[in-house]
Amino acid sequence: MPHEIRLPRLGWSMEEGTFVGWLKMPGADVSVGEPLFELEGEKATQEIESLDAGELYIPPDAPKPGSTIPVGTLLGYLLAKGEPLPSGDAPKVIVPSQDIIEPAPAMTSTTMATDAPIATTTASVASPRAKRVAQELGVDWQTLKGTGKDGRVRETDVRAASTVAVPTAVGLPVGITARRKAIAERLRTSVERTIPVTLTTEADAAGIVTLREQFKAAKSAVIPAFTDIMACLIAKVLPRHPQIAVRWDSARSTLVAVPADQYHIGIAVDTPDGLLVPLVRDVGRTPLLKIATESKGLIERARHGRLTIAEMQSGVLTISNLGSYGINGFTPIINYPEIAILGLGAVRREAVVTDDDRIVPGLRMTLSLTFDHAAIDGAPAAAFLKDVAHAVKNAAAILLGA
Amino acid sequence: MPCGYAIVRVLNTPRSSAVDSPRITFSMDTARMSLSLYRTMQIIRQTEEELARCHQRGLIHGACHTYVGQEAIATGVCAHLTKADSVFSTHRGHGHALAKGMPPKELIAELFGRSTGCSQGRGGSMHIFSPEIGMMGTSGIVAPCILQACGGGYTSMLLKTGAVGVAFFGDGAVNNGAFHEGLNMAAIWKLPVLFVCENNQYATEVPSSYASGNPSVASRGAAYGIPGIEVDGNDVLEIHRLAGEAIARARAGGGPTLLECKTYRTRAHAEGMGDFTYRTREEVEQWKQRCPIVRLRTAATASPLAGMDAAAVTVHFDAIEKEVAVLVQEARAFAEASPVPEPNTATQHVYAPPKPIPPAPKSAATRTITFSQATLEALSEEMAVNPGIFVMGEGIGKRGGNFVTTKGLYDLYGGERLCDTPICERGFVGLACGAGMTGSRPVIDFMFADFVLDGFAEIVNQIAKMQYMSSGRLKMPVLLRGCIGIGHSAATHHSGSYYGMFGQVPGLRVVVPSSAEDAKGLLKHALRCDDPVLFLEHREILQIKGPVPDGDYEIEFGKARIVREGRHITVVALAQMVHQTLSVCEELERDGISVEIIDPRTVSPLDTATILQSVHKTGRLLIVDEPPGQYGFSAEIAARVVDEGFNDLDAPIRRVTGAFCPTPYSPSLESVVVPQPADIAQAIRDLVDE
Repeated sequence: MPHEIRLPRLGWSMEEGTFVGWLKMPGADVSVGEPLFELEGEKATQEIESLDAGELYIPPDAPKPGSTIPVGTLLGYLLAKGEPLPSGDAPKVIVPSQDIIEPAPAMTSTTMATDAPIATTTASVASPRAKRVAQELGVDWQTLKGTGKDGRVRETDVRAASTVAVPTAVGLPVGITARRKAIAERLRTSVERTIPVTLTTEADAAGIVTLREQFKAAKSAVIPAFTDIMACLIAKVLPRHPQIAVRWDSARSTLVAVPADQYHIGIAVDTPDGLLVPLVRDVGRTPLLKIATESKGLIERARHGRLTIAEMQSGVLTISNLGSYGINGFTPIINYPEIAILGLGAVRREAVVTDDDRIVPGLRMTLSLTFDHAAIDGAPAAAFLKDVAHAVKNAAAILLGA
Repeated sequence: MPCGYAIVRVLNTPRSSAVDSPRITFSMDTARMSLSLYRTMQIIRQTEEELARCHQRGLIHGACHTYVGQEAIATGVCAHLTKADSVFSTHRGHGHALAKGMPPKELIAELFGRSTGCSQGRGGSMHIFSPEIGMMGTSGIVAPCILQACGGGYTSMLLKTGAVGVAFFGDGAVNNGAFHEGLNMAAIWKLPVLFVCENNQYATEVPSSYASGNPSVASRGAAYGIPGIEVDGNDVLEIHRLAGEAIARARAGGGPTLLECKTYRTRAHAEGMGDFTYRTREEVEQWKQRCPIVRLRTAATASPLAGMDAAAVTVHFDAIEKEVAVLVQEARAFAEASPVPEPNTATQHVYAPPKPIPPAPKSAATRTITFSQATLEALSEEMAVNPGIFVMGEGIGKRGGNFVTTKGLYDLYGGERLCDTPICERGFVGLACGAGMTGSRPVIDFMFADFVLDGFAEIVNQIAKMQYMSSGRLKMPVLLRGCIGIGHSAATHHSGSYYGMFGQVPGLRVVVPSSAEDAKGLLKHALRCDDPVLFLEHREILQIKGPVPDGDYEIEFGKARIVREGRHITVVALAQMVHQTLSVCEELERDGISVEIIDPRTVSPLDTATILQSVHKTGRLLIVDEPPGQYGFSAEIAARVVDEGFNDLDAPIRRVTGAFCPTPYSPSLESVVVPQPADIAQAIRDLVDE
């Protein structure tokens, strides 16, 4: 019996993905666990491992690399030695129900197919105008529930589903990617579910600037970035702020404490395809230089679309650094279900009035903490930010375990 | 009252051969004339025989009806005509064209389908035009030439040019209604027209003795109170004499004459057709013996021709024959060497080149007047500046028109320019065609558009095609106006719209205004453009008032008007349906439905661009049209929008149209066959919900 290879769901909300390409040639012998094809989901490109063994057979009408197709679309078959090509009725698209949270990469079906065309729609109908607008806005109309007669998808349905404001003036459609849609969806979720409040404070950055210079002077193989140092400092401060070290649970009804051995801190990375937030794992127990090495790797993979979902799941807090753009204070959006995000501003050289009323040159940076007021109150958030600022000022000592 | 004319039977029976010809003494003038007539007949004969050869060799693509045996008639009649006189001919018209002065090379090239042909390859044998010399066309339809010649006569009478209109037609035309209507109109208006019946005894293959209750065509003149003369159609001198008298009488205001020329065609109806299923070889042979060319030559050589002996006369005739032979060979060579027309010019000359539109009036001042007043103003203003405009219709003279379309104009412009007609729509539409071809600008007022249908063939086959057939050498400035529309129990012979039908006819402009301002501007444009225009006025909106700009203005055809701007749905409507749709827009607006109304104003040309632009904005299209939807205006718009605007459609295109049903009389029935405001509102709501 041939094993069907279908487009798996990579997360609970995924409806479609971009089939990047096969990692095996047609006719190749595939073993269980071998990478079989690459799939771009909402968050990342992922290598999909084979759950079965057999000889890879790709029907002529199978989805071509680069095509965006619904979850459940048949991609190919794994055949046993000497097994005939599958035949029979056209395969039906199997769309995993919304209740299934875990991916179901190799759904099986009793109906087999060969060269029969593969249905790729969910059988909904759209007006020509809705299709045109959907293409312009990068919306997949096939996933929409139409409000027109007999469920026909209309322009209004497409526009409602679109996440980008479209100028009414005539222009070339830019289109949006699945990644962009996913980012927008996540940001909207955050804004809808949290009560964001942003606090800003000034920190004395001389300590971390000096620290980085010392790494350079010491000809360290890796020079930690500001973000790396900040991640370490936060991990040192967090145990004293259990109210910050929490996440909303999957039911979104209660807060769950994040234990100190799971201080995975997210780093917001700007990539050509949009914002991604890989996690530096277990920052509290990892030396700074190892963190620096790891974050470099993560950033590199993020920019090449090679992050796995696991590398982006279950953080405690996120750092967003816009300092290199000369930004000081800003209002970062919480990476839900986390409850706080720290924004790093530019390090500025400016005049500082000392405690003894002298004016001296100093290095300052603005810290912007957005917290979820639904989760904690302002005072504990402010206390956390004060501690972070203090840690920045005394970075070397804190990192050495003070 | 019995008519004042008896049949003038000049020659009871054709002479069987030239041997029977009486000895005539030829004067010097007669001698010159005889040689000239001989030359014309030789040109016709030799050209026709050359065409017959060419047809056999496949050089002629379509039909070819030769005039062999009948040469005396065209020759004798046309000898009296100038370029200003107009000839309207039949399907057997090569001889008329040549006798009127067309060079054989233009004729042959046309039959060869070359761009140097007289109709630039658009016509062929049955559409031979050369208006510059007064050759107003051969025709594939039997009898309209009779009406068109009346039009030529009417132009002459109106503009006092002294020209005559001549219709050549066969015995097949005399049992057609156009003969009756045309002769009657010519009689009552004393038009300068000569009706020449070439009675060759067969209408294609049907003998005239079978087809006619009264076999004498000439005797029918009496029925209309005009002279009817029968003549031997193979005797060129006698035809020349009698035609001369008739034409002189016409030029002098004495009215029309019917000349029946008994003759015979000695070749088949059309080249390549069998000839002996309906007539015998013996009969044909007999008539060949009566050849009009031989007959003239024999008569001339047998008689002292200006003092010359027979041998000297023969030398002259031989010289003519040789000269003509060279001329015809040169013509054929010219035709064969000529290029075929460029395929990409096939749709040129359907319409006249557009004329510039005058700038809009500087003053923004307007007056509020009715639709009817607006069209009356337009007509009166144009009649004041253009003496070539005349109006024809029933009751449009002193009475001022059933719908006051000409009220007061009779007193201003007189009876010739506001001409009441007999009830013969085909007749006066056909007359309008000939008038438009000869330099006047007829306005035909039908009262009800249903009456147009009696003249349908004249509009579709003649008026609409004339510019194209003549490759733009003729203009066709004819305005045809009439009322349309259902309402007030007018029932089915006084309520049709028909514009969808006319919209299918290339060469015609079809105008259906909905407001006073549009009506005036469009009528002005119609009265200035060179194309035939069907101008249809909805009876239910004639008294609707609206602002009309002061001063002179025109509205170009093919430019839609955005009656009302809206966002959610586009409604395309004409005439009364514009007003019906407008009446529900406020109610819909209160419910959040914003309606855009587009009035194309002209059905042909149709402004697709404006409709597409609107659909691009709204995504929804409803077409509201009073006549039945089947094959109609609404179907055309739907097809075009699907073709060009498919990706703008957010819902199917819907139509609200009249029922596929003649118009009933009783109000309870009438109201359900025509779209009502409630139907329109519901259709709009449904479509917005789609």
